[in-house]
Amino acid sequence: MNTLPAIEVDHVTKRFVLAAHARSLKTALLDTLRRKPQPTLTALDDISFAVARGETLGLIGANGAGKSTLLSIIAGTLTPTAGRVVTRGTLSSLLELGAGFHPDLTGRENVFLYGAIMGIPRETMARRYGEIVEFAGLEGFMDQPVRHYSSGMYVRLGFAVAVQVDPDILLIDEVLAVGDSDFQAKCLEKMAEFRRAGKSMLIISHDMNAIRRTSDRIAYLDHGRLKAIGDPMATAARYRAASEGGARKEWGSGEARLAKVRFVDEAGNDLVDPPRDEDGRYRAGSRLRVRIDYAAERPLPPSVVGFSIHASDGQMAFGSNTDVESHPLPAVHPGGSLLLEVDISTLHAGKYLMSFSLHSRDPVVNYHRLENHLAFQCGGKVFDGFVSLPCRFEDAGR
Amino acid sequence: MPLPRFHDFPARRELMAILVKRNLLIRYKGSALGVLWSLLTPLAMISIYAVFAGVLGLRRELLGLGGATFDYLPFLVTGVVVWQFTSGSLGDSLPVIVGNANLVKKVAFPRALLPASTVLANGVNFLLTLAILVVYLLCTGALRPAAFGWIFAGAALQLVLAFGIAFLVSTANVFFRDTEHIVSLALLAWFFLSPVMYETKLQTAALARFLPEKAMSLLYLNPATGILACYRRGLMGMDLVPPGIPPAALWLSALSAALLLAAGIWVLHAGERRFGDIL
Repeated sequence: MNTLPAIEVDHVTKRFVLAAHARSLKTALLDTLRRKPQPTLTALDDISFAVARGETLGLIGANGAGKSTLLSIIAGTLTPTAGRVVTRGTLSSLLELGAGFHPDLTGRENVFLYGAIMGIPRETMARRYGEIVEFAGLEGFMDQPVRHYSSGMYVRLGFAVAVQVDPDILLIDEVLAVGDSDFQAKCLEKMAEFRRAGKSMLIISHDMNAIRRTSDRIAYLDHGRLKAIGDPMATAARYRAASEGGARKEWGSGEARLAKVRFVDEAGNDLVDPPRDEDGRYRAGSRLRVRIDYAAERPLPPSVVGFSIHASDGQMAFGSNTDVESHPLPAVHPGGSLLLEVDISTLHAGKYLMSFSLHSRDPVVNYHRLENHLAFQCGGKVFDGFVSLPCRFEDAGR
Repeated sequence: MPLPRFHDFPARRELMAILVKRNLLIRYKGSALGVLWSLLTPLAMISIYAVFAGVLGLRRELLGLGGATFDYLPFLVTGVVVWQFTSGSLGDSLPVIVGNANLVKKVAFPRALLPASTVLANGVNFLLTLAILVVYLLCTGALRPAAFGWIFAGAALQLVLAFGIAFLVSTANVFFRDTEHIVSLALLAWFFLSPVMYETKLQTAALARFLPEKAMSLLYLNPATGILACYRRGLMGMDLVPPGIPPAALWLSALSAALLLAAGIWVLHAGERRFGDIL
């Protein structure tokens, strides 16, 4: 029994019917009558691997590679289109910390609710309750409805409960990106403890350094295929090499779109080519002007338009969004247009790529992302460090 | 890990208990009177019916039956109280899977627990209402509990029916947005087709022109007809069936309730594999 793997993923394929949201009865009937073929998206394509008892497997890949889909299938919340998954032992998933908490219930009530959802007997939860509260650092807050919690408190309680469930298998989806550094350290310590206790873990992370340290092996997913699995250093290096291409990509849930994103000149006219002056470079001190058209077919919750500028080596130089810049986006339905102006005078000289995304404010649903959508060259000054601070020298006497 | 299914039900009694409690807690959370509403609502409802039925002079004669041999108001209130359990379970369970989307998407547990817990939470409320109803019937002298065992038969039927439709509508609502509108219209039609405000006798009288007397038993294919008959028999000592219909017709109500439950289990079971894809 102990030699059998904790998780076996056996030729798992998952296809999503695109726009498989709830249809109106009329649409559903018409589609069936017309035998309209539903467009599908293959999120996972014939994936097979096993996680041994006591092993930690890291899962890496670009956004949309299928990592979270795979974790959901292992957790049992999604059903594979083909293939099967076997898990041996109790399983707890940290797919989203605090998922299932009810805002109107108190912290204490939510702890017991979560325990019951995970199938933990009430007495066991009662015994562990003190430890949960201590780990989350929420003494004195447990009898308040969690709607009054800050997002940090919410996440801390979520993590504390999920690990106190004491599963044999723990699934973690990028949850360590949240919380302050103290709490992150606590989480890492807890994960190390899990490893020492011989539990199996499956971790998704974009933090290559962290995942290399914590994983025994790493699996690299690309567009739903398992590209590589094995030695953490080698696999992570392979992913990094592949992801630095800076290729234009786009993805998203499709509920809203960035219909058109392009550079414009001072007068607001579209520029076919990336902006440049005579020698083909943007001068230091210049401003980039980008016009962003967005549209949605139906009303959506408050949304955010964000952008980021990456240097050619993949390092992010800068990123911000409409919320950060205190320009709340008006309703995205039916559509609108934004003008973004960026002062790039503090950038290193070099080549840059701009990415854009349109996403909901909370919880974050990526409606549409344009990766490496616009390219520009910056002819700024050459300096040391990563930011050019305005500075000047003057003579102060001899 | 495959989604835990119905056979896990007993093992998940604890979760069921907590979900029911959560349902009840949330219902009145933040309201000043809290759980008291569970008692106040039926009290107020009975008073409203009493006042308005009194003001309007609603009597049996008005409903075309003549011969006021019984008090109409307790009859009506009993019907409405019993009906409210069915309609409440239906209304609360409709959005329960969609409303718990983040839970359904992130954690594997038997999905049937969500609609089932709303039914049971409504059941708890119904018990409180029933207690008030008994007191009310006692006060008006309409309580004739000689055959009170029928209350249990009514409750059993009612639960089977409520679970069945809760599974059906909560699943349908995941896949079709129209469910809500269809259900609210169907509920209204069902209310008037069921002997809540009138006696089954009225239906048989109205249908006499179209249907042979032997076919009148088919009225009991509407499970609500059987349920209301059981409760009125148990609480008010009324006849189970109007003259001309054999008491065995009640089995038709049991049969259709059981069929609805079977359909509900089947639909939920078939649909839950795709919940994660759609929500």
